[in-house]
Amino acid sequence: MEALSLRDDMSDKTALAAQNSLQLIAFSIGEQTYGVEITTVREIRAWNGATPLPNTREFVRGVINLRGTIVPIFDLRARFGDGQTSPTKNHVVVVMSVGDKWVGILVDAVSDILTVNRDDIHNVPEGNAIDTELLNGIVTHENRMVGLIDLHAVVTGAKMDG
Amino acid sequence: MSDLDDFKATYFDECSELLTELEEQFAAIEAGERDSDRLNAVFRAIHSIKGGAGAFGFSALVGFAHAYETLLDYVRDGRVELTDEVVSLCIRANDIVADHVNAAQSGEALASDYGIEEKTRFDALARGEIEDELGGGIVEEFDIDFTPVMVDLDGAASGEALVDDVFEAAPMAPAEGQWEIRFTPHRALYARANDPLLLFRELAALGEMRVVPRLGQVPPLADFDPFAVYCSWEITLSAPELSEAAIREVFEFVDGDCDILIAQAGSTPLAAFDKPEMAAEADPPETDEPDLSSLLALTEDEMAETAGPLASVESFAPEPPAAPVGEQDSFEEPPGLSFAALAEEIRPSAPPPPAKPSVPPAARGLPAATEAEDGHRSVGVQSIRVDLDKVDRVVNMVGELVITQSMLTQQMDETLRARYTELVRGLEVLAQTTRGLQDSVMAIRAQPVKSVFSRMPRLVRELAAKTGKKIKLETIGENTEIDKTVIEQLSDPLTHMIRNSADHGIEGPQSRRGAGKPETGTIRLSAEQAGGNILIIVEDDGGGIDRERVLKLARDKGIVAPDITPTDEQIDQLIFAPGFSTADAVSDISGRGVGMDVVLSNIKKIGGSVHVRSWTGKGTRMTLRLPLTLAVLDVMLVKVGDSPYVVPLSSIVETMQCSRANFERVPSGGRVLQVRGEYVQVIDLGQRFEMAMANAPGDQFVVLCETEGSQKVALVVDDIIGQQQVVIKSLEENFERVEGIAGGTILGDGNVALIVDVQGLRTTHIHQNAA
Repeated sequence: MEALSLRDDMSDKTALAAQNSLQLIAFSIGEQTYGVEITTVREIRAWNGATPLPNTREFVRGVINLRGTIVPIFDLRARFGDGQTSPTKNHVVVVMSVGDKWVGILVDAVSDILTVNRDDIHNVPEGNAIDTELLNGIVTHENRMVGLIDLHAVVTGAKMDG
Repeated sequence: MSDLDDFKATYFDECSELLTELEEQFAAIEAGERDSDRLNAVFRAIHSIKGGAGAFGFSALVGFAHAYETLLDYVRDGRVELTDEVVSLCIRANDIVADHVNAAQSGEALASDYGIEEKTRFDALARGEIEDELGGGIVEEFDIDFTPVMVDLDGAASGEALVDDVFEAAPMAPAEGQWEIRFTPHRALYARANDPLLLFRELAALGEMRVVPRLGQVPPLADFDPFAVYCSWEITLSAPELSEAAIREVFEFVDGDCDILIAQAGSTPLAAFDKPEMAAEADPPETDEPDLSSLLALTEDEMAETAGPLASVESFAPEPPAAPVGEQDSFEEPPGLSFAALAEEIRPSAPPPPAKPSVPPAARGLPAATEAEDGHRSVGVQSIRVDLDKVDRVVNMVGELVITQSMLTQQMDETLRARYTELVRGLEVLAQTTRGLQDSVMAIRAQPVKSVFSRMPRLVRELAAKTGKKIKLETIGENTEIDKTVIEQLSDPLTHMIRNSADHGIEGPQSRRGAGKPETGTIRLSAEQAGGNILIIVEDDGGGIDRERVLKLARDKGIVAPDITPTDEQIDQLIFAPGFSTADAVSDISGRGVGMDVVLSNIKKIGGSVHVRSWTGKGTRMTLRLPLTLAVLDVMLVKVGDSPYVVPLSSIVETMQCSRANFERVPSGGRVLQVRGEYVQVIDLGQRFEMAMANAPGDQFVVLCETEGSQKVALVVDDIIGQQQVVIKSLEENFERVEGIAGGTILGDGNVALIVDVQGLRTTHIHQNAA
């Protein structure tokens, strides 16, 4: 709700609407658009390589140095089971906070900042386990479907079994 | 509220320091160093704990500390002899104080009669001695000491002036049950913002009181030192039922910052000495205003002669003189005070008039010693209390500086070097300074392990009592310094290890006797620095590990496969295996195994390792190897595939070039390498870390590392880049622990390199092979 406090000058009516709205950072993986709540995003930076971590699953791209702190990078495409991204300089790492940890997510591009209505968030349809595991919900924005990423789910299960 | 919490936190911090100090002092006292310095330190510590406890209303603690303090006070002035029994009672008392402090801190209530037995013993000891004093024995002592006083008094023409004309014989004449108090504040009393007026008010609440200032020491204006203390007071307090302790309590917070002489008039043998004083003080000249110029004119000798009346005041002192004269001499007042001090302090009680400011020995000697020690301490080591976060920030920044510096150095290529010699020189200086800065910052965080070691004697005492064994603890190298964060993590593992030694290692007295060993088992706790590491060793002379039992249990639990026969050393190591000790069934084994996996995980967390070695029937030695600091590491930078890794230099024995063809296979499928006749386990980092192999089948490099117990392991890498210093960064801060990786670091080019956990690789290797 941090974002709301900045809007004291808005009329009551808008404020009411704002309370029920949600701002998302939207990014794309292939043709698909996903979003995370803007308040969790700490930084967006260009892909610049990462040091691979041994004994971790393929969606862990490794670790990077974020001003002296070691931050793990998760490959969202790989997490969805579509194989590892072949990153270029144009790929983007979105650094977010999950709980008390900072993690980076490798995506193809950041597209937009969206304001959506909480009431418009739909449940993820049952069916594909990966979808229900990794998404908190689905929201429609300008006729595009935006999947809301469940960060906690994305970063778990990083270690190799055995 | 939060302010109060802050104060409390500070108080508990101080308590833990004071309790540590108590342990130290008593370790020395137990060893026979029964001097007054140590006693004073003990007294001060208890007194400070009590003072704070009073402020926060921890009444149980105050009550106990008070009784203890009273006993210490009597020990201090010689009324109670410091026998072995008293020492062990005191040690027990320290434990109780510690328990009270812990209880106060955690908010738990102790049993209301906790420590009552000891308290009763204190009271008995203290009371017993007072009764003796009231009997004949001590009077004799007084006779000897103070006889000259009486002779002097009659003829003394006093220049010592008392201002107040009320201060005459009649009111001052001590009635039965009256207390005479002489209160002489030191400079320090005012420096600590104490006000005599408040003390007097408190006294006045105890009974009818008369206060008379003594202004005789006030010098002429020209000599007046605004910071000096020229005024002392004589107080008559009518409160027959009052105890001396109650009066002393009023002065509790200025203890050591003033001289207090308390005597009960009429009811003690001391009364005999009061009368001459009163007579002398009733002399008319005394009641005059002090003549400042005549005071100035007084020579030391005159002062001495004229100080007669004052002398008798000294006989108020219940304490027999204890400190030798030589000792008093070393506690001279600062020069600025000399004149006043002279007048104030002159004591004709010693047969010839003393030429130097001297003091009533017993009453004065101890506080003076306290002052002297405090003074010495402040000159010797000055310290400040700093929030650890602030230090951490500096450490981090220095870490960044080290990285930047090494980055700059790396990026200077040969052509640049040749062209910009000044720049090169500058960089060299920068490197040197950075290194120095880094060492200094690390030193800030370094602390002697004493703070952890000092908790252990108590643990051993408790364990000995609980198990009915006789155990003595020896500590060695307690001044060895380690990083504060390491020390903090050390307490739990050490406790576990010592508990283990006492519980499972040391045998009962009978079986020890049967084995031809002394009944008292020894646990030796030592710390030493070994290169970039600290070794902490817990050694006992007990029965050693019951290997058969351990192996059987490990097999039952599936930790060791049935077809594997581990070496003795590997069996010893099994007690740390996770899962080995968690089941209840293990806790009754005669060997080891209670909570030892906790030790391992805690030590691993701080980048250390544990090794255990046991000799059947002779004992067990557990070695903790800890990094000196958690922040900086000397490493060798290697390459595995395309990724940089660093190997801690402290574990590297040598590096060599070698081809895969040199490796031989052993039946388990593992590979070994022969190094000068010795077969060494080979770990191919590329394989272990499941990286894309560099696949250059040609030459590779081997980094030969030494792990715990001098076990060697050969790490195969693709390239060796060089040595450097790195700042250790945590992987777990934002990720989780990765097998075989001890952490990360940031290289000069800004990339992350992972730190190889050599010991971890080797143990998981053994487990994998065993499984």
